[in-house]
Amino acid sequence: MGLDIIVGIKWVPNTTSVNIDPKTGTLIREGIPSVVNPHDLTAVEMALRLKDKYGGTVTAISMAPPSAISGLEHVIGMGVDRGILASDRAFAGADTLATSYVLAKVIEKIEKYDLVIMGHETIDSSTAHIGAQVASWLKLPYIYYATDIEYEENKESIKVKRILENAYEIYRIKLPAVVSIAMHTFEPRRIKVSNKLKAKLENVIEIWTSKDLNLDINCAGLRGSPTVVSAIDFVPKVPRKNLIFQEKDPKKAAKWLIEKLLEEGLIDP
Amino acid sequence: MSSGRLCSEWEEINPDEYRGIWVYMQVDDGVINEASLQLLGQARKIADELETYAGAIFVGYKLKNLAKEPIYYGADKVFMVDDKRLEKYAPNLYGDVIYKLALKYKPESILIGGTMRGRELAPYIANNLRTGITADLTMIEVNKETRDIILIRPPFGAWMLAHIKTRDRKPVMGSVRPNVFPTPKRDETRKGEIIEEHIDELIDPNMELLEYIPIKKKEEIPIEKADIIVSGGKGLGTKDGFTILQELADLLGGVIAGSRKAVDAGWIPHEKQVGQTGKTVKPRVYIAVGISGAAQHVFGIREAKRVVAINIDPEAPIFENADYGIVGDYKEIVPALIEEIKKLKRSKKKS
Ligand SMILES: Cc1cc2nc3c(=O)[nH]c(=O)nc-3n(C[C@H](O)[C@H](O)[C@H](O)COP(=O)(O)OP(=O)(O)OC[C@H]3O[C@@H](n4cnc5c(N)ncnc54)[C@H](O)[C@@H]3O)c2cc1C
Ligand SMILES: Nc1ncnc2c1ncn2[C@@H]1O[C@H](COP(=O)(O)O)[C@@H](O)[C@H]1O
Repeated sequence: MGLDIIVGIKWVPNTTSVNIDPKTGTLIREGIPSVVNPHDLTAVEMALRLKDKYGGTVTAISMAPPSAISGLEHVIGMGVDRGILASDRAFAGADTLATSYVLAKVIEKIEKYDLVIMGHETIDSSTAHIGAQVASWLKLPYIYYATDIEYEENKESIKVKRILENAYEIYRIKLPAVVSIAMHTFEPRRIKVSNKLKAKLENVIEIWTSKDLNLDINCAGLRGSPTVVSAIDFVPKVPRKNLIFQEKDPKKAAKWLIEKLLEEGLIDP
Repeated sequence: MSSGRLCSEWEEINPDEYRGIWVYMQVDDGVINEASLQLLGQARKIADELETYAGAIFVGYKLKNLAKEPIYYGADKVFMVDDKRLEKYAPNLYGDVIYKLALKYKPESILIGGTMRGRELAPYIANNLRTGITADLTMIEVNKETRDIILIRPPFGAWMLAHIKTRDRKPVMGSVRPNVFPTPKRDETRKGEIIEEHIDELIDPNMELLEYIPIKKKEEIPIEKADIIVSGGKGLGTKDGFTILQELADLLGGVIAGSRKAVDAGWIPHEKQVGQTGKTVKPRVYIAVGISGAAQHVFGIREAKRVVAINIDPEAPIFENADYGIVGDYKEIVPALIEEIKKLKRSKKKS
């Protein structure tokens, strides 16, 4: 009865000016407040809507250092039933292949699930890799950019509408499956304090280490990551004229600009 | 950093057996996607540097009439899997075919245009091959001695580029941002080889495309192809701000676009977002209105010939990245610009 859904969420630095340590090539996280990746909140919202409609459960999973518990608490506040944090020193330094490996192992251990939902991409790495990679590890069908999911209980499948650059597509997909949600599809619901309290009382967040998971440590973290950042360099600034009109008169400013653009043959009204 | 012990999920490979630079040919409605053609130029360049071949791969049905096209754009070999069973796209099905081709032919690198379909497909193939993949790369560097293919992408901050190296595994895979590389010249005199492949056992994708519904948009130039772009940011204050930007764009024969904050606010669709997580644009003139000029935004307008900034804050970083700047409220400046252009048009008509 209903759908047992797993949602992948990531706890990401909330800033537009995150920097990279030029020596190590890693993210400087100190002093930067984190949030749940906004596109994952969209994914959580989709999961909760499906639960509202068809019944079932929603479990949020994340691979991250222990601080990401706050992220799981946030989505539990939204109505997620259970949170699992895969956290282990051996998972550190993972690229997307190694991250998706651990997440796939977490999903395998959960065992009873119908649907895995992911966000469009994360705002700190923007790879949009994890959904497809998890599907590959688990040999599941998958689709990206979903805007609507309909459960066809009798067929053990879902109907998914998704958006591309210049088309919509509708797929029928056998469950279990992995679906990532197009960004901005929904406004995520607000947190309810009562949900959070319940979560605290019932200990719905678990931390799983490599010992809890049936995995090869050599496939996780830095060791399981074929890609490494071999260098960082600065994007050279594009030289610009930097001419600023100095008077505070919109009419004159407009005239000045149009003249400049005409002079250079850039516009042809 | 090689640790000696490799992941048990990685089948052992001999990197020296891997040769050839592949590009996946995305075909939409019987037409090769521009992003795929753009990559053929890069594949040609890398292949020449590494003294190997450039390959193109087709997966689908009724594609034979397209077979020679990649050769005209720079490929030496075309691998084609043309099969009725592949009439309908499914990412795992197509991904599995490319995976199997790669197992057989062992390419050194596979590049995939970073369209929405491409971004969906590429990581699945890479993962099946248990190799690394770089997303949305914007530059490629090759080291002839070590045969390293370094894929470069803008990470956090956008002023820094991350050089990504793939160790221990092959092929080196990446999805490539559309429109950062030029489409090579089509040359029908080029020669190459077409290899038709048949794959006996296809996976059951467990999914089926039921409907394909093209979005009928008004005939509009996509922002990545526009010559003139009037772009709006959070500073517009409301969605209505774009109405007046549209008017200016129409007068100049251009299109509107926006910053991420404008997209996040729902004022303009994501496909019109300029910047690191949006699109790279190359207009003659880019007019940034109420846009602060964050590094991630400016990254997308590096190729613009001239940048104009209209911003109320004289300290806004956009001015450092602009050729022409006007400090002021856009609600006054933009109507003045519209008036000025209308005046010009009128005088032109008279003469
Ligand atoms: C990983 C990552 C990727 C990102 N990718 C992108 C991307 O692809 N594209 C992108 O755009 N951003 C991107 N961003 C976000 C980026 O850092 C900025 O937050 C965003 O560009 C700011 O948008 P804005 O300039 O519209 O808004 P703001 O920074 O809020 O600026 C609004 C500007 O409007 C001006 N203004 C206010 N009122 C008026 C008025 N009446 N008239 C004129 N001017 C006025 C203000 O002075 C201000 O400068 C990314 C961030 C991260 C972390
Ligand atoms: N460390 C992680 N833990 C759980 N889910 C993740 C993690 N990283 C990414 N995801 C999920 O995968 C999606 C795509 O992420 P990315 O490939 O990093 O852009 C995100 O929106 C999340 O739903």
